[in-house]
Amino acid sequence: MHYIWKEWKENIRGKGLWLSVSIIVLLSLIILIRFASHPLDHGFYILLINLFDTIVYFIPILCLFIGAFSIFQEKEQKTLIMLLTKKDHYASFLAKKILGISVVVLLPLLAWFFLYLLLLKFQFQLDIKSYLIFILSILLMSVLFLQVGAAIGSFSRSRMQIIGHTIFIWFYFFFLHDFILLSLLPHITNENVKVFSTFYFLNPLQAIRIFLETSMEVYSFSHMSRLLQEFMWTEPSAFLVGNFAFWMVGSFASAVFFNRKDVHE
Amino acid sequence: MKKITLLLIFFSLILISNPEEYEASNHLQSLIDSMEEGAVLKLGNKTYEGNIVINKRLTIIGSKHTVIKGDGTSNVISIKAPGVKLRHLTVIHGGMNRNTAEEYAAIKIHTNHNVIEHVKIRDSYHGIYLSQAHHNTIQYNDIKGMGKGKIAAQGNGLHIYYANNNLLAHNKIEGTRDGMFFDYANRNKSYDNHISHTRYGLHYMYSDENIFKRNIFTMNQGGAAIMNSNRLKLKDNQFLINYGNQSFGLLLLQANENNIENNMFYLNQRGLYIDQSTKNIIKNNKIIENEIGIELWASSNEQIFTLNKIYENTIPAALIGGKGESNAWSKDGKGNDWGTFFPLTDLDQNGIGDFPITYYSSLHQLLEKQELTNLFLKSHAITIYEKINAALNDNEVMFKDPHPLVQRKRNHSFILVAVLSLLAVILIKGRHPYALHLERMEGKHKR
Repeated sequence: MHYIWKEWKENIRGKGLWLSVSIIVLLSLIILIRFASHPLDHGFYILLINLFDTIVYFIPILCLFIGAFSIFQEKEQKTLIMLLTKKDHYASFLAKKILGISVVVLLPLLAWFFLYLLLLKFQFQLDIKSYLIFILSILLMSVLFLQVGAAIGSFSRSRMQIIGHTIFIWFYFFFLHDFILLSLLPHITNENVKVFSTFYFLNPLQAIRIFLETSMEVYSFSHMSRLLQEFMWTEPSAFLVGNFAFWMVGSFASAVFFNRKDVHE
Repeated sequence: MKKITLLLIFFSLILISNPEEYEASNHLQSLIDSMEEGAVLKLGNKTYEGNIVINKRLTIIGSKHTVIKGDGTSNVISIKAPGVKLRHLTVIHGGMNRNTAEEYAAIKIHTNHNVIEHVKIRDSYHGIYLSQAHHNTIQYNDIKGMGKGKIAAQGNGLHIYYANNNLLAHNKIEGTRDGMFFDYANRNKSYDNHISHTRYGLHYMYSDENIFKRNIFTMNQGGAAIMNSNRLKLKDNQFLINYGNQSFGLLLLQANENNIENNMFYLNQRGLYIDQSTKNIIKNNKIIENEIGIELWASSNEQIFTLNKIYENTIPAALIGGKGESNAWSKDGKGNDWGTFFPLTDLDQNGIGDFPITYYSSLHQLLEKQELTNLFLKSHAITIYEKINAALNDNEVMFKDPHPLVQRKRNHSFILVAVLSLLAVILIKGRHPYALHLERMEGKHKR
C-alpha cells in the first residue's frame, strides 16, 4: 500500500502517466466519433477491433517508458539505496514497485474505459462480455509491458540506454519477431508446426490479439486443416496465459539478475 | 383411504399431462381440415402441437405468443396447397434426424404463391424450405439456429431447392449452417436480409439470374459464396467482419458474368475471393480494411474492376497461382481508387492519375504455399517483408491499373494530427512550471 501511494504521488506530479492516459482517451474518442458517424451493423465489435488495433501502437511503448523511468528514477534519486538498506531485497522491492506502478497506471485506464462504456451505450448495442474481454486484454498488455519496462529500468544505467532498449523491444515485438517467423514460414511442416506456434504466441501482441478476437467470437478458427489444428494445439486463452507467465517471470528474473544500482551521471 | 389416494394420483396425472394442449393439437389439424378453401384462421396466445399439413388455400394468423410445436420427428408445418398465408407465428421443434430420405424444416413449402411473414423459427433443422415451390414471398421472418459449435449439425435458415421467382426479404437469420441456400434455384430476389454467425450467409449452387440487394452479412465464416452460378446481380449489400482463417466477404467459384456493384466489403479476411470465374464485373464497391482486399486466383479471367474504392487493406490485391493477365483493372478509362496506398498526381485535374500504377508483391508465394501466412496479415512485419523482397527483386506484378482514380481529400491523418497536437500541448504545459521556476530563479539572482 505504501508503494502504491508513493507511486501515485510521484506519477500524479509527472507528465508520463497523464500523457499516456490522454493519448488513450483521445484515440478512443476519435474512434468513437468516427464509427458513431458511420454506423454499421455490429458496429460495437467493429469499434472494439479498431480501437484495439489503434491503441496497440501506443500502450506497449508508453508502458515500457513508464515502467523503465519509474525504476530508473529510484536509482537516479538514490532512493533505491535507501529503500534497500532496510533489509529489503531487490526482488521484493521490484515486486512492490511493479504492483504500485500497475495499480497507478491501470486505475485511470479502468476509470476511463468505464466512462467510455457509458458513451458507447448511446451509440451501440453493447455486449458486456466482449467489452470485459477487451478491457482484460488491454490490462494484461499494460501490466506485461510495465513489467518489461521495469526490467529495462533495472539494468539501464542512463536515460539514453532506457530509450535505446525500449525502442528496440518495441521494434522487436512489433516487427522483428514476426518478420523472423515469416521468413521461416516456407519451412514449416506438420512436424515442426507446434514449435513454430509456440514462438508465434510468444509475441504478446499476437497472443493478446488472437485471444481478444476469438473470445469476442469475431475471428473464427473453423474447418481447420491438420496443419492449422496442430498450430492451434491449445486454446487462445491458454496461449495468452503461457505468454503472460513467460514474460512476467522472464523479465522479473532478468531485472533481478542483471539489475544495476549505479547510474551514469 | 387407498381408493382416495389412487383417485388423487389419477387426477394429478391428468393435470400434469395438460389435456388442454393435447386437445389443441388435434384441434389445430382438424380445424385446418374442417375449414373452407380461402378461409382465415386466427390462433390464440397458446402452444399448438404439430405437426400439421395444410392441404388447402388458407390464411393462418397467430397472436403475439402463438406457438406451433412440432413433435421433433418431421416438418412442423407442411404446405401442400398454393396460396397459403402464415403470419405472426412461432414455429419450434422440427425433426433433426439426418438419416431419413427427407430433410426436415420448421416450414416446408411444396407449392406456389404462398406468403410466410413475421414467423419466428427455433429448434429446427432447416428454417423454411422451398421445394420446387415458385413465386412465394418469405419476409420479416426471424430464424435462429443452434449457433457456434453446431453449425454443421443443422440445416439452413432458408433452403431454396429447385425453386424460382421467389421473394426473400427482411428476414433475420442467425446461427444456422447457411443463412440462405439456393440449389438449382433461378430468378429469386433477396432483399434487405440480415444474416450473421452462419457458415455462409448466402450460398448459391447452380442457381442463375438471382438478384440480391441491400442484404447485410456479418460475422459469418463466409459472407456469400456463389458457386457454379451465373448472371447474378449483387447490389448495395454489406459484407462485414466475415473474419477467420478461411473467411471471405464474397466468394466467386466457377461463377461467371455476375454483376457486383455498390457493395461494401469491410473488415473481412478477404474482401473478394475469386477462383475459376470469368467475366464478372466488379464496379463501384467499397473494399476497405480487409486483410486481403481481392484474392484473385489465376484460373479466373476477364474480370473487370472499375470505380472501386480499395482502401486500407493489408494487401489490396493478391494474385495467386499464376499471372492472370486477362483481368482488367479499368474500364472506359476509369480504374479504381486505391487510397493512399499509391501516391498519385493529377496535373490535368480530371480525377484520373497521370500515370498507371503497378502493384508488386511477394506475399502471393507464401499465401499460396503456406496457409499460416494468413495469421501474419495483421502484423506490421508484412511491410518490412515486402520492402526487403522488393529490394531483392523477388516481387511480382499483382495488378496494373492504367487509369487509377485520384483520391478525393479525406481526413486520413486526423488521428495522427490530433495525437501530435495533444503531445505538443502536454509538453508545453508541462514545461511551463519549469520555465516559471527558472524565471523565479533568475529573479532571485538579479535581486
